[in-house]
Amino acid sequence: MIGLGRGGAGALIFGLPMLMTMELWHLGFYIERYRLLLLLLLNIPLLLVLAHRIGFEETFTWREAARDAVIAYAIAIVMSVLVLLLFGNIKPGMPDSEILGKIAIQAVPASIGALLGRSQFGGQNDEEAEQQDEKEDSEISTSYGRELFMMAIGALFLSLNVAPTEEIILISFKMTAWHALVMIVASILIMHGFVYAVAFRGTHELTEDTPGSHAFIRFTLPGYMVALGISFYVLWTFGRLDDTAGMQALMSAIVLSFPGAIGAAAARLIL
Amino acid sequence: MTKTFKNRHVESGKAHWVEWATGVVSFLLVLSMIGWIAMDALVRDDVPPSFQLTVTRTAAVEGAYRLEFDILNQGTSTAAAVLVRADVVDEGQIVDTAEVTLDYVPGRSTASGGLFLLQDPAGQEVRLRALGYTDP
Repeated sequence: MIGLGRGGAGALIFGLPMLMTMELWHLGFYIERYRLLLLLLLNIPLLLVLAHRIGFEETFTWREAARDAVIAYAIAIVMSVLVLLLFGNIKPGMPDSEILGKIAIQAVPASIGALLGRSQFGGQNDEEAEQQDEKEDSEISTSYGRELFMMAIGALFLSLNVAPTEEIILISFKMTAWHALVMIVASILIMHGFVYAVAFRGTHELTEDTPGSHAFIRFTLPGYMVALGISFYVLWTFGRLDDTAGMQALMSAIVLSFPGAIGAAAARLIL
Repeated sequence: MTKTFKNRHVESGKAHWVEWATGVVSFLLVLSMIGWIAMDALVRDDVPPSFQLTVTRTAAVEGAYRLEFDILNQGTSTAAAVLVRADVVDEGQIVDTAEVTLDYVPGRSTASGGLFLLQDPAGQEVRLRALGYTDP
């Protein structure tokens, strides 16, 4: 019951900015259905891996992860329905496809929020406390693929927040190519700094004999590529790339990668 | 590989070759992207927007005729608030007019829209043109 409450709280905290974004309501009815379907389907493995990672006690199995993922998705759908009803955004008399579209598109970010809420606001008072002692001593290794996957989730989450807004393309229209170059460099440096230089909780360290450039090439640059790829995907999903020249599409993706890269870096620290 | 120990993440010094391969590929991708944009910044001259309009389809709908069009921005800079007007001309007289504003037509890109006319545009002269734009 507490778990459900935490999930709901997470869905609210992480989902509200999107629930209150006008463009996302509109996308609910004009987004092409196959793109929406693809987003909904891709969300499932994403939640699965996230659920598996977040509950990283040794006892945690894929079956439990699947259960958590499904619950998170369900919480997200219920929360989206409730909030959209509260805002008068879905009413009886609207076509089914419009209502469904609005709920489905909101449920994706909210479901990630529900899972994060469960892990980040988890108290220390229940069974987790017992396992805390064991966790202190245990070493877990994150595989390289998993590390990149976590970055993808972080990038996707922040990208989804801002991608539907008109500002993303407007910024890319206002920018010159020089602005774009500076933005690429800034994104990469911020990303690297977030993870290695700034001493946040969960900051990554290098072993003594590893030069700093190793981490930059092995983690930061691939991470930026992941963020850029996610940006392209999200923009395509929301139909922002249709009939747009290659250069313009790239500029929009670079703009969106700026928050995406920060999200990816943050995911490495938090998850 | 990254090891998490007592809530600290430590990157291991010895890396699998896949990590290096991914890193190098990403490095090349970032480099080529920067190269492309730098080329564009150096070579491209700023061409202000100019438009090419084409009628893609006309169809009779209830009470009116729908005229769908594509608009191509031949310039390199983006135009905002592009006003498009269609005039149906019969023997030198404008007999019908409809206009619409498009939010954005990005540089070298196509946007599309539709207009509703009371006169059947088929068989008559239709003058379709962009009246103006603003810089975003």
